[in-house]
Amino acid sequence: MSAPNSNQRKACWGARDELWKCLDDNQDNAASCEKFQKEFEASCPAQWVKYFTKRRDFLKYKEKMQTEGFEPADGPKESQS
Amino acid sequence: MLCLERRMLGLVGFIGSDLHATSGRLLRCTLRSSTVQQTSGSTHHPQRAWLSSQAPLCGHHTPKHRTRLYGPFTHPQQTLGSSRGPFSLPLFTQRVALSQGPNTSTAKIRLRTRLVVTLLFGGGLLGTWWYVRNEKQQNHRMQRIEQLKKVALGQGDFSLLDHRGHRRTKRDFLGSWVLLYFGFTHCPDICPDELDKISAVVSALDKDRSLPAVQPLFVTVDPERDNVAALERYVKDFHPRLIGLTGTPEEVKVAGKDYRVYASPGPKDEDGDYIVDHTILIYLVNPDGLFLDYYNRMKDDVQIAESIRNHMKSYVKL
Repeated sequence: MSAPNSNQRKACWGARDELWKCLDDNQDNAASCEKFQKEFEASCPAQWVKYFTKRRDFLKYKEKMQTEGFEPADGPKESQS
Repeated sequence: MLCLERRMLGLVGFIGSDLHATSGRLLRCTLRSSTVQQTSGSTHHPQRAWLSSQAPLCGHHTPKHRTRLYGPFTHPQQTLGSSRGPFSLPLFTQRVALSQGPNTSTAKIRLRTRLVVTLLFGGGLLGTWWYVRNEKQQNHRMQRIEQLKKVALGQGDFSLLDHRGHRRTKRDFLGSWVLLYFGFTHCPDICPDELDKISAVVSALDKDRSLPAVQPLFVTVDPERDNVAALERYVKDFHPRLIGLTGTPEEVKVAGKDYRVYASPGPKDEDGDYIVDHTILIYLVNPDGLFLDYYNRMKDDVQIAESIRNHMKSYVKL
């Protein structure tokens, strides 16, 4: 299976952008964006679908951290010996 | 009254070496006063009375106006001795005027010497500063080179196949500036972005005819899938001079290790497809094969081009 060429890459990115816009508009309600999801999965190799999905999750998480702040995890406990 | 102040100022001014202006002022002042005296005929004003006594001097000393400066004071006995009524100059100006003496050529020499000495001194200071500054810059450059040598990236030799199937080694690229990027053709977005960036940088630098041409190189971190044919398909979407390099897994590993490139293939899915996690850096190598600089995702093409230009300039100087 050969790698996507430039046109295929652009098509995949376009579909991804459409999907993400839809998700942004619908507060990440996957059900309302099914059409875009199908389009996205058709345009991109499976690995890329997985990769971009994870990427979106990461970007959302990062946004959350930046806007809402976070509780730093407790550090390692003091030596118990 | 104004004329009197001017004369005093003129004397003080001379002491500060502003010779021409003050003598000019005095000349005009004296001439005007004597003219006024002649026309009005009145001698009530003590200043005018005193000045009119100097009238003979006004007539014939135009070229030697410096002499006129001393006019009233060339005969100190006369000045101090003569009674001038309520008019008298402050003591210090009299003393200073006397101490200058009648010799104007000494004054000329003294002024010229002063100017020359000041200029030489100033020039010397400027020259020293310039020299020290250049030394410092040179030191910085040498330090940086030493540091990079210590890091010693890209010291080894690689031997790979280019996208046309020709064998290429590191030696083949000595003599050119090289922009090196490690990636793989199945890369979803990062590698195409970075290669587009490199293409933009190389195109921008190409526009400047005075700069040497930069050679972009793309080395795969995924030799299992990226063979010569795959690379050939891939690189044609980017800058025409971009060369793709691949080889056996061992050869690729050697090249990657040389630049301390991290690469880790991810899990394969049912298609056998996988993503390779890898260092995302563009390396700049100079014509001596020495690693000079690196650029990460944060640097845009304009910044990278600027940085390369600077490296090229300082390389030539060394």
